[in-house]
Amino acid sequence: MQHSRNTYPPLWIRIGSVWFRHMRVYSRNLISNGLPPFLEPLIFLVGIGLGLGLDLGDIYGIPYPLFLGAGLFMTASMFTASFECTFGTFIRLEFDKVYDGMLAAPVSANNLLIGEILWAGSKGFFFSLCVLIAISVALLVLHVDNLFSSFLIVFIPFFGFINGVMFGAFSLLVTSFVKNINHFNFYFTGFLSPMFFFSGVVFPVGNLPPVLRQLAEVFPLTHTVRFVRAFCLAGLHGKYPRMDAAYLIRPELLWDAAYIIVFVLLMSYLAVTRLKKRLID
Amino acid sequence: MSLKTVINVQHAYKTYDSLQAVTDLSFAVDQGRCFAFLGPNGAGKTTMMKMLYAKARRDPRPETVMQVFGYDPQYQELAIKNVCGVVPQDDNLDVELDVRQNLRIFSRFYDMSAVRAQERIASLLDFMELGDKKRSPIRELSGGMKRRLIIARALLNEPRLLILDEPTTGLDPQVRQLIWDKIRSLQKSNVTVLLTTHYMEEAYQLADTILIIDKGIKVLEGNPHTLLDEYIESHVIEILDKTRTAGLPAPLLRKARKEESGERMLFYSEQIDVIHGIADKLPRGSFFIRQTNLEDLFLKITGRKLHATQ
Repeated sequence: MQHSRNTYPPLWIRIGSVWFRHMRVYSRNLISNGLPPFLEPLIFLVGIGLGLGLDLGDIYGIPYPLFLGAGLFMTASMFTASFECTFGTFIRLEFDKVYDGMLAAPVSANNLLIGEILWAGSKGFFFSLCVLIAISVALLVLHVDNLFSSFLIVFIPFFGFINGVMFGAFSLLVTSFVKNINHFNFYFTGFLSPMFFFSGVVFPVGNLPPVLRQLAEVFPLTHTVRFVRAFCLAGLHGKYPRMDAAYLIRPELLWDAAYIIVFVLLMSYLAVTRLKKRLID
Repeated sequence: MSLKTVINVQHAYKTYDSLQAVTDLSFAVDQGRCFAFLGPNGAGKTTMMKMLYAKARRDPRPETVMQVFGYDPQYQELAIKNVCGVVPQDDNLDVELDVRQNLRIFSRFYDMSAVRAQERIASLLDFMELGDKKRSPIRELSGGMKRRLIIARALLNEPRLLILDEPTTGLDPQVRQLIWDKIRSLQKSNVTVLLTTHYMEEAYQLADTILIIDKGIKVLEGNPHTLLDEYIESHVIEILDKTRTAGLPAPLLRKARKEESGERMLFYSEQIDVIHGIADKLPRGSFFIRQTNLEDLFLKITGRKLHATQ
């Protein structure tokens, strides 16, 4: 029998419709779902960055709230993407049986899981954008400084996307091992929370003891934070000449880029391969 | 293989870890026909269905042939799923969305234009008699409405094959009749129907061919009416308390086939006189006489005791 090319929808429609489904369902409860990942970085910035930071004055050559703020875009993206691909995926898989319905349509398990990872990336994009706007406004209102001093910050949501894809893929891989939803607590408390503190968000990785410094280089968040901080602070170099050169755009960032690319490809491959076995009997 | 054959399965096997779910199963379904799998829970019905649309992967064996519209599910699952509608056993609607939104989201998977999707959704909601529920949230729907909505969803892309996994389990008689009517009317428009059920009546009402499957193995296959004629006596008397049979004359009982089921005793016979002969010796109200049905056949074939998997 002849198999013409048009016997089913093209790849981008298949992946796109998975993405669209998640977007529609998620946006039904946007306020209740979206408020915590939006507010948490703000609370942290105000509580730690301003409360403690103003006492500290300039550290690392810049006001502390600027240093911290530049890291919080990626943690917002990390947490939303990770929630989506752990609890979100697990509930769709085991409780709501949503995937059973979707897999009856012309969508393969690969398409579905890639759509899942891209959706996590999109949430990373959206929340890093929201937090960018909110933090910029907060810093402006509080007369700390203006992050908008460089056009380069328009790239932040794109890093939010890449960071979301990274944690989406990794979280899917974690989910592929999890049989009991409560076990995600180990992942959040044991892995993501330490990463929040030891990836250069709150203080520079260089302040860590040598052993932990090596460990920080293994953490995926370290690399995206470095990128984003460089893009945030690049425009402020003239104003803060004592700013550490490590926060600027420099060739070493290519190593971070290489790490991110390899991590995304490897984790996506492993996650899709492993989780597919739970989707297809 | 004739041109009209929609499903052709030869020597299918499926093993889960240590469980042999399907063993050497072969069958074929012609276009516009209704084919029913009948079997106890855990018999392998759902697994067989899932293999056809690549939700389950068959055991790799050289002798296995599996084709749906000429496509092999293992390599061409998307082409198959594009022309199949699937109604799974569990309800899996998006509870956050309303009726129409559930269908809209699904129309995307088939790359339907918004205009066409709207037309299709309106006509399917009418067809499944859900027209006035368009905007209802899923949690406000009854079990029967959810089931009808899932069937509507399966029909979105005008499938040429409809796969129904226990479509009416747990539904009240009115809804069941309605769903049966809809399936019949789809069949008239040449849609092929594959269904699993353990309601004998459902199989009897709808199916052109039934395949009785037990522990993954085909036990019997044929037209339900023919199978009844061939494999089971035409009448039965059910005695509600089996201790009452003690005083009955042995020569009379020998003319019938005896089956014990819990507290009941059943005597099957081709001759209604034999059945009446037994009834005459029993007090009124302690028995009833009826024609045999698929359930009797099914229980005769698969046994009255429960398996471990049920």
